[in-house]
Amino acid sequence: MTAPPLEFANVALPARRPQALSLTVPAHHTVAVLGDEASGVGALSGFALGLERPAAGSVKVFGTVIADLPERERLAFRRRVGYLPAGDGLLQNLSLRDNVALPLRFGSAAAPPEIEGRVNVMLAQVRLAPAAARRPAQASEEERRRAAFARAMAFDPGLLLLDQPFDGVTVRTAAELLEVARGGETAEGGRRTILVTGHELPEAIRRRVETVYRLSREGVLEPERA
Amino acid sequence: MIVPIARLGGSAARRLSRLGALARFGFGALRAGFALSAAGRRVAFRVTLNQIRFTAVNAVGLFVLLSGILSFLVISQLVRQLGTFGATDLIGTVIVVAIVREFGPLITALAVAGRSGTAISAELATNKVLGEVRALEAMGIDSRQYLVVPRLAAALVSVFALIVVFDVGAVAAGFLAASINGMTGTRYAETVLQSLGADDIWLTVAKAVAFGLIVGVVPCYFGLAARRSTTEIPIAVSLATVVALVGIFICSALFAAIV
Repeated sequence: MTAPPLEFANVALPARRPQALSLTVPAHHTVAVLGDEASGVGALSGFALGLERPAAGSVKVFGTVIADLPERERLAFRRRVGYLPAGDGLLQNLSLRDNVALPLRFGSAAAPPEIEGRVNVMLAQVRLAPAAARRPAQASEEERRRAAFARAMAFDPGLLLLDQPFDGVTVRTAAELLEVARGGETAEGGRRTILVTGHELPEAIRRRVETVYRLSREGVLEPERA
Repeated sequence: MIVPIARLGGSAARRLSRLGALARFGFGALRAGFALSAAGRRVAFRVTLNQIRFTAVNAVGLFVLLSGILSFLVISQLVRQLGTFGATDLIGTVIVVAIVREFGPLITALAVAGRSGTAISAELATNKVLGEVRALEAMGIDSRQYLVVPRLAAALVSVFALIVVFDVGAVAAGFLAASINGMTGTRYAETVLQSLGADDIWLTVAKAVAFGLIVGVVPCYFGLAARRSTTEIPIAVSLATVVALVGIFICSALFAAIV
């Protein structure tokens, strides 16, 4: 039996909330966990990627606790997971294209022409090619979002962690980006596994998400809709 | 009585602890540099070249101006004063001892710390506050390899190159000043070359390495020590500048005491 792509087991959320969080994100599913800032929902992706450690409990990604790996392996493992941080996290001194290309140029053994080809595909997928030469400060909020999505998917990861991914974009763009992020449906169920965290989700997006959870300030996680 | 002494001790311990953290950070960056993959090296090399362009190439004019004015003023006065005693042969010694050995490396390091060190600490603190450093780590990119190693390498190369530019500019301006004040070019060249030894070259290289490490490591350390608030950016820049300047002066004094 293969390990689920993402599993939170009795994770203590920040600010000593009484309830520990347990959650399994099944393969090829899109799961959303919503909550206000005080709920600690913003800490989930950081725990999953091993950027921070929970005070108690464990988070396994493809059966591995990333935070327990030695530094080099930890960095290499993170390339299997796509991450879109809140506020996009794009490097301001690089063009949108270079932002998308950076993880591939730095962490991939592929030849430069192959990397550039992959970047072209990603830019086309998120419909960013015409604006790719702009720097984040010259781009619109929507273009920055598109670039952040393309960068998160650069390594074609099996799991995507999206923190407040649809802030500043229209519902239509959000739906389009979520579909691109999920990837194509195949007979084997090849869609990506996605965890969306944030404060709210538009109704049109909720309909495309398999499970929506609400995380309370006390740390109680309850499904909003199965 | 014990409380003030304890306070003094606590303050000294905090400073030592920060010095230790800086040293650990510097060694960590060096280790990260040696652990770069082939792909990482390509990216880091491009960033390094960009940093050298900003730190050294764009600053050549400034350093020629600084060294030229300093040397012209010093040599003009010295030729006149030493001429009255018939001791103009000492001009070469002054150029080598005062400018090539001491002021060249010192002023260069101070100017690079003021011009580029501030920019580095502000840039990295902004990267940190905007969540870009966290995003790099999340993408599997070691932020030390991408952000610190190229800046450290560029600082080492740039400080050395600018010391050479400073020294050449100073010697050339000294020649001009000596000529205006009645000393022949041949005599000037002779006195300078007689005073210049291999030790001066090695000392310049050693100072370039030491100052380059300070100018590269200190701003990166304080820049990346910023957390999540924009108010921390000016604090990081201010701390980095003060520590780098003090470090350069202390290091220069140590060189003077040892060599």
